[in-house]
Amino acid sequence: MTREKRLSQLTPYLFLILPLIIYLIWVIGPMFYTFYLSLTNWDGVSTPDFIGLRNYQRLFKDPVFYISLKNNLKWILSFITIPVVAGLALAMALNRSIPGAKAFKASFYSPLVLSLVVCGLIWGWMYQPANGLINATLRAVGLGALARGWLSDKNLVMWAIIAVGIWRQVGYVMVLYLAGLQGVDPGLIDASKVDGCSGWLTFRHVIFPLLTPVTVIVVVISIIDSLRAFDLVSVMTRGGPYNSSSVLANFMYIQAFNNYKMGYGAAISVVLFLISLVFIFIYLWRVLQTEMEY
Amino acid sequence: MKKFVFPLLAAMTILALVAACQPETVTVEVPVERTVEVQVEVPVERTVEVEVEVEVPVEVEKSLVIYNSYMSDPAPREADAEQVRMFEEMYPNIDVVHSTVAHEDFKQAIRAYLTASTPPDVMTWFAGNRARFFIDKDLIMDISDVWEREGWNETYPAGFRAMSSVGGKQYFVPASWYWWAVYYRADIFDQYGLEPPETWADFLQVCETLKENGVAPIAIGTKYRWTSAAWFDYLNMRVNGPEFHIDLMLGKESYDDPRVLTVFSDYWAPLIENGYFIEDPAAYSWSEALQFLINGEAAMYLMGDFLRDSYPDEEEANLDFFRFPIIDPAVPVGEDAPTDGYFIAANAQHVEEAKQFIAFLGGVEAQQYFADNLGRLPTNMEVDTGGFTDMQKKGLALIQSADFVAQFYDRDTTPEMADVGMNGFMEFWDNPGDIADILARLEATRQEVFAEE
Repeated sequence: MTREKRLSQLTPYLFLILPLIIYLIWVIGPMFYTFYLSLTNWDGVSTPDFIGLRNYQRLFKDPVFYISLKNNLKWILSFITIPVVAGLALAMALNRSIPGAKAFKASFYSPLVLSLVVCGLIWGWMYQPANGLINATLRAVGLGALARGWLSDKNLVMWAIIAVGIWRQVGYVMVLYLAGLQGVDPGLIDASKVDGCSGWLTFRHVIFPLLTPVTVIVVVISIIDSLRAFDLVSVMTRGGPYNSSSVLANFMYIQAFNNYKMGYGAAISVVLFLISLVFIFIYLWRVLQTEMEY
Repeated sequence: MKKFVFPLLAAMTILALVAACQPETVTVEVPVERTVEVQVEVPVERTVEVEVEVEVPVEVEKSLVIYNSYMSDPAPREADAEQVRMFEEMYPNIDVVHSTVAHEDFKQAIRAYLTASTPPDVMTWFAGNRARFFIDKDLIMDISDVWEREGWNETYPAGFRAMSSVGGKQYFVPASWYWWAVYYRADIFDQYGLEPPETWADFLQVCETLKENGVAPIAIGTKYRWTSAAWFDYLNMRVNGPEFHIDLMLGKESYDDPRVLTVFSDYWAPLIENGYFIEDPAAYSWSEALQFLINGEAAMYLMGDFLRDSYPDEEEANLDFFRFPIIDPAVPVGEDAPTDGYFIAANAQHVEEAKQFIAFLGGVEAQQYFADNLGRLPTNMEVDTGGFTDMQKKGLALIQSADFVAQFYDRDTTPEMADVGMNGFMEFWDNPGDIADILARLEATRQEVFAEE
């Protein structure tokens, strides 16, 4: 190997040194430290004692863990169905030059401009049972019987929070599909029309299959977003009433930072990490594969 | 290729180690900015007599003390900042680097502060068990010398001194405290011919009358749960006595004790089942639920005196409070009176300045200011109570006539027990019939939590 060739091979690594070091110290390092902490009884102050797998044994017996896991599942199932279908439908409807299409696109996308914390606060007010916008509207149109304590009823609270997440997610999915539709060759659609396909058949057999890569990304992103769910819960209920809207991330936060059970909190985040990892791998694998294709 | 990877990794590891070994002292840099500020003033004043003014910058060598406070609500925050200003005026050579952190965030951050190599010097905190935890771990400085020098051993009541001491040494300065009571709308009571109830039977009668007249008897916002813990504190102390209550808090009594069950099934459950509380309390924070009291939709609210901070001043004439009704006259009277104060971190960097600052905070001027402007009660007996409002005098009498003073549920027991306990209260609120199961679960937690300690 010539000197020059060696140097040119080395250059990218030289550029990468700084980010890699930063990444190692602030991302990879703490990750392994969290693994270690999950095997201790650290309270944030004392020296951590190694206690083996006790945190995990306790976790798998903790009813709140299963409530949180189930709530994360509800979140995932809602997120991979409603926003995906609604987002796709909106994208199809708005992907043509009808008057006002741009305004509609913008208005569906606008919730995404707000941070989740702001969304949580606004919806928290809207959900207020006595004077909140939702109950007030229901009462005004004579549907007062439907008025509920949206965030205080243990059977409703999780769905009430997920609804806010969906409201925000629809616009995001719509934009992803709109981008995907730009990549669909109009020639293929014209060809299908020439062959006598109805609108639905064109969509079902031509457009939707062509959008498969987008759909996979959308579904995986939705799953990862559902597993990350924390902000809305933390702002709107902190997991209450009595854990009925707890999700894993919130459960971890309460244990680690409210109850000072850092070891136990670390164990929860390790479990959450392992679940997320599966989907992150699928996502990366898809993304890399798509990159190869081009 | 491989040839490069190993040295690269080695180099990165070394760099990482070097970076990790370097002690970082971020906070210490602050005084530099301050010095600049002061120097700016000098040349502006008199440009002619330059020679004379040369000495001024020497004086600028100020020392500093770093102070982190959790007084983040508007009224206390203002009073807190004013105290700092008063101190800086009295000690022009000391600069206070003051940060205010939101109350809930502060509770979560304090462990990081205390274990840092350069912690803030002086911090606000809760007296009693929550401070004891850190004292036992050697994270709080022994300030017996400050107590001695300031004569606090004589000017503080024995109870507050005991609250600040471990093993005969003082670690804490209790600075202000407030009472809990049932606040009520005097005008609404007048309207229906009601008197502040003294016994449980009277209290139930008041609730019934209010409810019949379409006024929700009791306001409460349980979104953050701790408001429900006040009801548990008081009912348990009134039914079983403060001694049993504190033993339960310390993990010495069990939650599945029939005496605890009585509190829920015979006293608390009827209030919920009869609809004496406002609807959907879990949807509101304590201050959101205060609206019901202000609007006259509800008539009573069991709350600490900080309720008055958030109550509109122009409406306050209609607001009064009464002692939580007595249930069993044979039982000693216990009250909640949480005490807040200050301590110095064990690793404080500016020890002398910190001691001067904390001596000021526990001294007469600062406490007088706090009492006069915020309506909190002072701990130092030398504070002049002559100018107290009727409310303050009444609150003081309420606590002074009590046989026992507790802090509050989540201050008297451990954070984890409090978390599970308060969730239990909320679950009971929705399903009063499940209380036996709920208490069995609380008992399981108690055994786990206190076995570890």
